[in-house]
Amino acid sequence: MAALPRRIIKETQRLMQEPVPGISAVPDDTNARYFHVIVTGPEDSPFEGGLFKLELFLPEDYPMSAPKVRFITKIYHPNIDRLGRICLDILKDKWSPALQIRTVLLSIQALLSAPNPDDPLANDVAELWKVNESEAIRNAKEWTRRYAMDN
Amino acid sequence: MSGAECESDMDCSGSDCGDAGYEDYYSTQPWDGEIDNDINFDKQKQDPEYAVYECLRVDEVERLLNENVEFLTTNLQITPSLAKLFLHAHEWDLQDILLKYQDNTSNIMIDSKIILSHSVDPLFNMKFLKGNLCSVCFLTFPTERFSTLNCGHSFCNDCWCAYFETQILQGVSTGIRCMANSCSILAPEDFVLSLLIKPIMRERYQQFVFRDYVKSHPQLRFCPGPNCQIVIRSKELRSKRVICSICKTVFCFRCGMDYHAPTDCDTIKKWLTKCADDSETANYISAHTKDCPKCHICIEKNGGCNHMQCYNCKHDFCWMCLGDWKTHGSEYYECSRYKENPNIAHESVHAQAREALKKYLHYYERWENHSKSLKLEEQTLEEIKLRIQKKVMNASGTWIDWQHLFEAASLLARCRYTLQYTYPYAYYMEAGPRKELFEYQQAQLEAEIENLSWKIERAETTDRGDLENQMDIAEKRRITLLKDFLEV
Ligand SMILES: [Zn+2]
Ligand SMILES: [Zn+2]
Ligand SMILES: [Zn+2]
Ligand SMILES: [Zn+2]
Ligand SMILES: [Zn+2]
Ligand SMILES: [Zn+2]
Repeated sequence: MAALPRRIIKETQRLMQEPVPGISAVPDDTNARYFHVIVTGPEDSPFEGGLFKLELFLPEDYPMSAPKVRFITKIYHPNIDRLGRICLDILKDKWSPALQIRTVLLSIQALLSAPNPDDPLANDVAELWKVNESEAIRNAKEWTRRYAMDN
Repeated sequence: MSGAECESDMDCSGSDCGDAGYEDYYSTQPWDGEIDNDINFDKQKQDPEYAVYECLRVDEVERLLNENVEFLTTNLQITPSLAKLFLHAHEWDLQDILLKYQDNTSNIMIDSKIILSHSVDPLFNMKFLKGNLCSVCFLTFPTERFSTLNCGHSFCNDCWCAYFETQILQGVSTGIRCMANSCSILAPEDFVLSLLIKPIMRERYQQFVFRDYVKSHPQLRFCPGPNCQIVIRSKELRSKRVICSICKTVFCFRCGMDYHAPTDCDTIKKWLTKCADDSETANYISAHTKDCPKCHICIEKNGGCNHMQCYNCKHDFCWMCLGDWKTHGSEYYECSRYKENPNIAHESVHAQAREALKKYLHYYERWENHSKSLKLEEQTLEEIKLRIQKKVMNASGTWIDWQHLFEAASLLARCRYTLQYTYPYAYYMEAGPRKELFEYQQAQLEAEIENLSWKIERAETTDRGDLENQMDIAEKRRITLLKDFLEV
C-alpha cells in the first residue's frame, strides 16, 4: 500500500489526542484508511442512551473526494436508509477538501439531534416523521433501545 | 446510408435516397432553411411546425462561441476567461451582460460567482499562510507554490491540480468551485488550465467546458442521436421539430426528446413518466389479438390500420373500441373521446380511483396502439417496396409510377405520429368547450388516417387520384389541429 499522506496521519493523531466529545474514531489495525466509529446518541434526542456503530473509509483520492461513511447499527432516522447510508450534503456535492473527518463526524452527530424529514433518504420514515412526529419518535426510541443498547 | 459514408456536405436528397425510410419525407421538405431568411416568414404562417435552424459541426460552434467571447473582451476590456464566466452565467445574452456590467460591475461579478459579496475570513489566510501551510495537504511550501482564487482562498498548486482532476473525472468543469468549505466562487478557465498538468486532463476539461457551454446556450442543442457530434442552432425557443442533417434524428428542439406536437414539453414528460410508472397496469393491453365482435373468431392485427375486416364473417369493425366501423368517420365518431362520468365527484373514493384508472387506460391504450400502428405500417411499406420492385422488374410500370405510394406512406407516418401525440394532450386537458373542439378535430384526423391506411394497404388496387385525395385530406386535418392547438 502507498505511503499514508501527511494529512491523514495528522488528522488521525488529532482524533486520538483530542477526541470529539461523544464520538470515538479508531483506525483499523490493518488499514489506516478505515475507521471504526462509535457515536453516542445526543442528549434530548430519541437516540439518547444509544451507541451507534459506523464505518468510515477514506478513498484513494481523499481529501479531494469525501470520506465514505455508513451506519452499521440499525437506526430509525429520516435521513438514514435501511443500508445505513446517510443523506448529508457535505458527503456529496457540498464536500470541500478543506473539511475533515472531525467535521464530518460532528455533522452526523448534529443530524441525530435534528432530523430533517424534508430531505429524506428513508421515505417511509420521513413520511411518518412529517404526519405523526410523536409516533416516529416513539419508533426511533424503540429502535435505539432494541439495536443500540444491548452491547 | 450512414453518416460516415456521407463525406462532404450531406445533400442526400438524390434518387438513391428514395428508400431511406419515413424521415425522408421530412428531410426532403424544404423545412430547414437558412437562419434569418425572409421567405421563412410566410412558411411560418402556413405551417405551425415550421422552424428555422441549422446543423453545425463542433468547429463551427466553437467559432460562434468565440465570437461572443471576443465581443465582450473588446467591449469590456476583460480577459476571455472572465468573459466566459459571464456568458455561461447569463445564457450567452450579450446585451444583458453589457447592461448589467455598465449598471453595476461588482454586482455582476458577484452574481457570476467571480468575487464574494463579503471579504474572505481574514483568519483563514492568517492561520495557514503564515507558516506557508496548505490547509488541504497539511504540508508547507514556499509562497510561489501557492495559488489564490478571486475569493482570496489560497492552497498549494499540487492540491489545486489534484482537486481539479477529481472534479473532471466526475464530469464537472465550468462548475468547479473553490476548495474552501462553503465557498461558492468558481474557478475560471485560465486558473484551471494554469494548474492542470496532464495533457489528457486538459483535453477532457476543455471537452466538458464545451459541452457545458452548448448546454447553457439557449440557441444550441446537441443532437440526441447516438454518437452524433452535430449541434443544432435555432433562434426558435419553442418546442419545434428539428432533424439532424447527419444522423437524421428527429427531435424537439426545446427539450431534446422525441418530437411531441401538439403536446408541450412539460406535459409529454409528465405523460412518459406516468406511463413508465404505470407500465405494469397497462401491460395487459399489449394484446395483438382480439375476437371479432360479431362471430367471435380470433383476429390477429398485422397491419397498422385500425379499420379491421374479419376474414371469417367480413364484419367491418374498429380495433380500438370493437365498435361497428360504419359509425366511425361520421359526425358521431366517438372512438377517440373518453366519456367522463359527470357525477364522479359524488362517488366514493374507490369509484373515483377506478374512474381515474379507466380514464388513463383509455388514453394510454390509444397512445400505445398508434405507436404500434406506426411500426406495423413501416413493415407494410417494406412489403409494398418489395412488390413494386417485382412489378418494375417485370416491366409493369416504372419507378416513377409508384413513387406516389412512398409519399403516401411517409405522409401516413407523419399524420399518425401527430395523432399518437394528441392523446397525452387530451388526457391532461380540462373538460370544456376547448376539449370538445380538440376531440372533434382529433376524431376527424383519426378517421382520415384510418381511411388512408386502409387505402395504402390495398395500394395496388386503389386509384391513384383517390389516394392522393385522401393524402390531401389527412394532412389538412393534421395542420388544422396543429394550427388550433400547438401552443406557438
Ligand atoms: Zn496542499
Ligand atoms: Zn474561495
Ligand atoms: Zn445527429
Ligand atoms: Zn419538447
Ligand atoms: Zn367475424
Ligand atoms: Zn373505435
